[in-house]
Amino acid sequence: MNTKLPRGAFRRSMVAMAAIALIATACGGDDDTTEPAPETTAASTATTAAGADTTEAPGTDCQVIKAAFVYVGPIGDAGWTKKHDDGRKELEAALGDCVETSYLESVPEGAESEAVFDRLAREGNDVIFGTSFGYMDQMLAVAEKYPDVKFEHATGFKTSDNMSTYFGAAEEARYLSGMAAASVTESNQIGYVAAFPIPEVLRGINAFTLGAQRINPDVTVEVAWTSTWFDPVVEKEAAEALLNGGADVIAQHQDTPSAGEAAQTAGGYWVGYNDDMSRFAPDAWLTAPVWDWGPYYISVVEAIRDGSWVSEQYYGNMADGLVTLAPVADVVPQDVRDQIQTVQDEIIAGSFAPFTGPVNDQDGNEKVAAGEVPDLGTLLGMDYFVAGVIGSATG
Amino acid sequence: MIRIRLERRLERHWWQTVLTPTLSVLAAFAAGAIFLAIKGFDPITVYRELFKASFTSTYGITDSLTIAVPLILTGLAAAVVFRMNLFNIGAEGQLYLGAIFGSWAGLALTDGLPTILGVAVVLIAGAVGGALWAAPAAVFKAYFGTSEIISTLMLTFIALYLMRYLIFGSNSYWRDPESANFPQGKKIPTSARFELFSDTRLHWGLAFAIAIALLIWVLIRFTSLGFDMNVVGSSDSAARYAGIPVRRTVIIALLISGALGGLAGATEVAGRAYALDPNGLELGLGFTGIVVAALARYNPFAIILVATFLGGLRNAGVALQGLPGDRVPVEVSLMLQGAILLFAIGGEIFSHHRLSISRANPAVVT
Repeated sequence: MNTKLPRGAFRRSMVAMAAIALIATACGGDDDTTEPAPETTAASTATTAAGADTTEAPGTDCQVIKAAFVYVGPIGDAGWTKKHDDGRKELEAALGDCVETSYLESVPEGAESEAVFDRLAREGNDVIFGTSFGYMDQMLAVAEKYPDVKFEHATGFKTSDNMSTYFGAAEEARYLSGMAAASVTESNQIGYVAAFPIPEVLRGINAFTLGAQRINPDVTVEVAWTSTWFDPVVEKEAAEALLNGGADVIAQHQDTPSAGEAAQTAGGYWVGYNDDMSRFAPDAWLTAPVWDWGPYYISVVEAIRDGSWVSEQYYGNMADGLVTLAPVADVVPQDVRDQIQTVQDEIIAGSFAPFTGPVNDQDGNEKVAAGEVPDLGTLLGMDYFVAGVIGSATG
Repeated sequence: MIRIRLERRLERHWWQTVLTPTLSVLAAFAAGAIFLAIKGFDPITVYRELFKASFTSTYGITDSLTIAVPLILTGLAAAVVFRMNLFNIGAEGQLYLGAIFGSWAGLALTDGLPTILGVAVVLIAGAVGGALWAAPAAVFKAYFGTSEIISTLMLTFIALYLMRYLIFGSNSYWRDPESANFPQGKKIPTSARFELFSDTRLHWGLAFAIAIALLIWVLIRFTSLGFDMNVVGSSDSAARYAGIPVRRTVIIALLISGALGGLAGATEVAGRAYALDPNGLELGLGFTGIVVAALARYNPFAIILVATFLGGLRNAGVALQGLPGDRVPVEVSLMLQGAILLFAIGGEIFSHHRLSISRANPAVVT
């Protein structure tokens, strides 16, 4: 090997290395908002709803169920992953000594996750929850190898004898949050920072827009795609671009609160996602669609304990509490807050659905006829934007 | 007044070549230990678990080796040109192109072929894709002297967004029409996939990568092209004086480097992802290859060892979180990797230079 490097070359290699180090840091991304995992136990987050069905006294000689959770982001993301971890804590609080939980965070989607699921199955977990779409094929492959272990995949669509999916109708809360947003905009332009042009996200944007139009028919919703679920910097930049373009309210389908920080800096308003994120931008905060995974996690583990677990595709909603709306801020006028409450009651009662026709797409084609309500299958395949949305539904 | 300065070493011993990287790794682990201790972890326990997770059980070893496969190839991609003072830092992008070409070939050409042929088609397509992606940088470097550092880096970003566009942004040939809920790549047929070793996830791409390492060693040591590359790397003018076609050699070297990066992407497709999967490919494997090459001092055989070591480090990252009691953040393994690179660069100084301490005229000291 040639080990003699001329001096100039060495200096150049230093420059290259420094560049690489910078790039590696920039591309490694994802870790800058990570907080060290707090060792808090469930007590603080246990909600009253959680233990509703639990009648057995924990601490007796119950069969201990080992449940593992695989997260795509850090539990400090203040959004998607944090809410799943809140659910895990609710599970622990509700079932006490009868359940033993563990979690792995920041596990990349795709091929590399298979080794992670395999290890968790080998280590004797009874049920493994994977909370991101990109784990689907890997979970399915591992599920086949370990028929005695139950696999629960959030947001996916593939099931097997020992693999279920779970997700829910965030669009119900999105509709309500759109009503709140429309009540405070002065420019009639709302910006929406969104991850990927997929049915789940399109459904959310459309429901949000329909809700906004209910309060103010002149409102438009402009969409900025980020091609990422979790990237605080990109999310913030997208929000800033929308604000610079004239939007004065920002909504989001992203995992972090950074769009809200941009809204607050610009003096605008903000509809968050996943959790009550008001503390990150209290002046801009309006409300947010919120997930409450705890009751589902409890029901899964209880079903495993009493042997009633079967593979299914669970789709929760506001009626069963999987989806909720964070408290609406006081800047939203009282009469709109009252309307939101009324519509929420109708949704829960089943007398109203966000996509009740007539619904037209951007080009004016009728997608849902007047008075009709599309079925779940149609909603799950949504591939268009409703009238009033600015942007492309194909990204 | 004492003056401390760096003096260039006039000669180097073989043991320095081994010692410097070893010390770099140890220094990185020592620095990591300080960090761990501050955060309240017992470094010895963490390192023991790290080693256990990656290198003791069958699954640990095979999973570490699985990650080593692309790292061997990206390590070679960096080594083959870095030793000529050509800094192709775009193996990451060439890997993406290799995956794009490889998965296209797997989808379009391999149905019904015997596995060995199908996999060969994927690999060849991947190598072509990677080489094509390095080609603009190679030509600009050879004819206009454009910095290949900048051009290969910029091409990496284009490759990244191209790959994302093909899956997330368009109904491309690569996208699976069955997956309505979320865009993902279409799976290549089994005839285009590497066979697995029994029920592990380790695939025959490992043997392939090792064979390629051997091939690169032969190329550098025993061929006239390898000789030309060495001379061009030492001195352009000497090479010109000796009648070596410098431009051609630079271009060929960068194309080979690009092809190796492309092969890394193709082996990931044929061995792990079975589809063009942006989420599963954006792991920084190309950039990590630079760390591999630097630690291995550009030696193809050392690259195999270093890639296995760093593969283990990466594999252990997630496992560390599962330690009973203490919870070690997954970033620890990434941080160690960064620290190893940093100390490897630092070590480089001392393998080429030595400290000289002498009395000096205070007026001279700045």
